[in-house]
Order: sequence, then structure tokens, then C-alpha cells
Amino acid sequence: MRPHVSVLRLPRGPDPNGRGFDPNSPRFIALCPTTISASTETGTDSVQMREEQRARSVLRESFLRTLIAMTNKQVQFHMYERVKVEAKFGASDIDVLNFQVSELHTPIGVQKEALLRCQDVISYSFDL
Amino acid sequence: MAMRQTPLTCSGHTRPVVDLAFSGITPYGYFLISACKDGKPMLRQGDTGDWIGTFLGHKGAVWGATLNNEATKAATAAADFTAKVWDAVTGDEVLTLAHKHIVKSVNFTQDSSCLLTGGNDKIIRIYDLNKPEAEPQEITGHTSAIKKALWCNNDTQILSAADDKTVRLWDRNSTEVVKQLSFDMSVSSMEYIPDGEVLVITYGKTIAFYNALSLDMIKTVDAPASIHSASLHPDKDFFVAGGDDFKLYKFDYGTKEELESYKGHFGPVHCVRFSPDGELYASGSEDGTLRLWQTAVGKTYGLWKCVLPGECAAEMVVLLEGSPISTEELWSSVRVTIGLLVTSLTKVLLP
Repeated sequence: MRPHVSVLRLPRGPDPNGRGFDPNSPRFIALCPTTISASTETGTDSVQMREEQRARSVLRESFLRTLIAMTNKQVQFHMYERVKVEAKFGASDIDVLNFQVSELHTPIGVQKEALLRCQDVISYSFDL
Repeated sequence: MAMRQTPLTCSGHTRPVVDLAFSGITPYGYFLISACKDGKPMLRQGDTGDWIGTFLGHKGAVWGATLNNEATKAATAAADFTAKVWDAVTGDEVLTLAHKHIVKSVNFTQDSSCLLTGGNDKIIRIYDLNKPEAEPQEITGHTSAIKKALWCNNDTQILSAADDKTVRLWDRNSTEVVKQLSFDMSVSSMEYIPDGEVLVITYGKTIAFYNALSLDMIKTVDAPASIHSASLHPDKDFFVAGGDDFKLYKFDYGTKEELESYKGHFGPVHCVRFSPDGELYASGSEDGTLRLWQTAVGKTYGLWKCVLPGECAAEMVVLLEGSPISTEELWSSVRVTIGLLVTSLTKVLLP
């Protein structure tokens, strides 16, 4: 019997729950500082970076809390092409690419369930 | 007679894979990006094919994709009339460059400072990535859609292939044509090898090799079927090609002899590229998969392991006889070993 090649395992496929780019991978951890584009312009002063990172964390947390506060509330979405729609906000996906909404009021009727593409949204507002 | 190939199949795309590109060798290995008609280009670890991430944002089929040498940036060309630049570490979209028609090709300079784009509007554009709002430099001349535009000669010149059946060499500063090649049919693909200044062009059933500086023909080789893409090994001892008959062909570059052909894909092969270390080549097909093939079949590399005869049997025997572990552990180990043995055997039996 001649030597043959076996395969240790198949290549790992995409994760159905996210877009990947694992922030815990050695490459991400090593190269991440350079990906904070604002910092590279002003110079990599570690105190400045820490401050900036702290500010980013605060902003990110506020944003996530607004998403929680918005759940089941009536939200007015202002979108491109002069589109203004209102709907009851359900949830956002992990990468904030889509918003799941119910009872979407559109000029051609009310859509019971819909997904709004976030990159098409300019702004949205709701009453706290 | 060479050994059978066991390609590694990378699934994940849901539509045909139309373009792929490798990065250079980085401290974290090398990477592979695939362009797909499903609009979701993917980044994979180059030597294993493991998925790393998907670049989300394009609203149409992605026709071209590329990585910079360090695999820190990616660029994609799509049918949504945009070319996008991405951070290849975080997967974030960094820049969207609006065009007036479908964009087919994207290419970074060696230092990643400029991006070359080409597409159906017949214009080659050069974007300065440090000044993205500035208007790009435009190079006009082609009379049909551009298939591929590549930097060459240390980023001082540009090579472009279009549906007008020409391949043109342009000077970057003057934007004038330096030399032109005309063919009887449309060029299906083009690859530029900086080391040695070789240009690989495919058209019909022919794979042609040219000097990239002078555009003098070095040699042509004919394949048994219509070829969509070919790639020359870094050491220039062989080249691989794939096309309409779903097979991958391996040829000796020196003698032009067809050495091997491999079946595996379930659709025409659209793109094939050697890895930067030459140990494997990747092919993308109409069947929506990418397959990784070994250059030297039988070598232990990446996810391939060379199993010598008698190796499997020996493993099992050692475990069954007088192993200093508990009966419970022994049985679960035996189950695992038997599983491995069966896998190895079936791989040999499969066509």
C-alpha cells in the first residue's frame, strides 16, 4: 500500500451567527491599536489612547442602552430618499446591520413584520 | 504515477466564486480572500482554508477582491457600482468609492497607498488612499469593459485586460499607452508575477506567458478545454489552470507537458491562484466552493497529513494491547482510533 494523504479535518466554515473577525485572535489583539484610525493621526500616546478608548466605551455603552430602551416603543426612522417611516422597534442584530421592527407604517400600507437595513437609516427618534 | 489529490473544500458561499487572491506571507501566516456573486466576500486563513470573517456591506455581486501584502487591508469590486476598502483585521468597511458602472477589478500598490480600479465603464482609476475624497486619476483608452487592471514594474506602470480583446501597458504618470497586445478573442484572466516580471494571460484554450515589461511573448501552452484562469508557481517550475471542464490541470512550465489533471469541482473553474509559498493552490468555481490543492501531493502541510503504510494499523494495535489506562478510557480511545482508521481508509477508496 502506497503512502496516501489524509485530511486532519475540513476547513472551518462561516459562523452563522456573526461576521467573524474574532477580536480574541492573536492577530486582532496585536494589530488592533493601529485600527483605531483617529489615534494613528494624533500619534500613539498611550495615555491619549486610553482616554480615547474610555470615551469610546462610554459612547458604545450608551448606544447599546438606547437600543434596550427602544424595545417595543414607537420609533420614527428618517432614511435616504426622503423616506420617513414609523414602526415598533423589536431588536437589532449583533453587528447593527438590520433592525427588526413590527407594524411598519409605509406610504403603501402597514407591514406587520419587517427588517430595516441600518445603512439606509440616517437617524431615528423615539420618546423615552 | 502521482498520488490521488484530496482537495480541501471550503464551503460558505452560496453563489459562484468568481475571483480570489492571496496576501503575502505575514507573521500570522498568509490569507485568502474570495469574491462571490452572493455579494459577501470572505477572508480565510491561507494554509487551512478556515473562515476568518465575511466583509458585509456590498449590495450586489462582488466581481473582484484583493488583499494588501500584510493582509491588513482588503479591497473589493462589485456590481453595485462601488469598490470598497476594508480593514482586514476587524472586517470593518473603511472606504466606499462610487463608480458609474459595475466595478470588476481592484489592486493595491506594494505600499498599499493607492488603489487601482477597473470595470464596465472602460476607465482605469487610481485612488490615493491617503486622500480618499480627492478625485481619482483616470486612464481612458479601452473601448470595452475592463476585466482586470494590475500594477506592475514597481507600481510605475499598469497592465489592463478588457473585453475589447486587448491587453494594454500604461505609464502611471503620463497615463499614456506604452504597449498593446491584441488577440482574436477576449482575454479570460491575467496574473502578474513581479519576481521575474512575468505576465500570465489566458484566452480560449490557451495559457500564454509574456514578459511584463516588454510584452514580448515567452511561450504559449494549449489545454484540453477552455481555460478561465491560470497561475504560475513562484519557483516557475509549474503552472496550474482551470476552466470549462471543471478540472484543474497542472503543467510543467519548462517542457509545457501536461503533468496532472484533477477532478473535484462541480462547475466551471473561474479562478485559480498559487499561495505565496507555492505549497498549495486555491480554485474558485461556479459550484460556489473554493478548493485548496496540494502542489506536492503527499506532503504534510496545513490540514493534509501524509499517512505512511502501516501507520494506522500500528496505532490501533498499541492501544488495544496492555495500555496502562482504565478500561473506560481504553474503550473510548479505541472508538476514536477506529474512527480515524476508517476515515483514512475511506479517503483512499474515494475517487
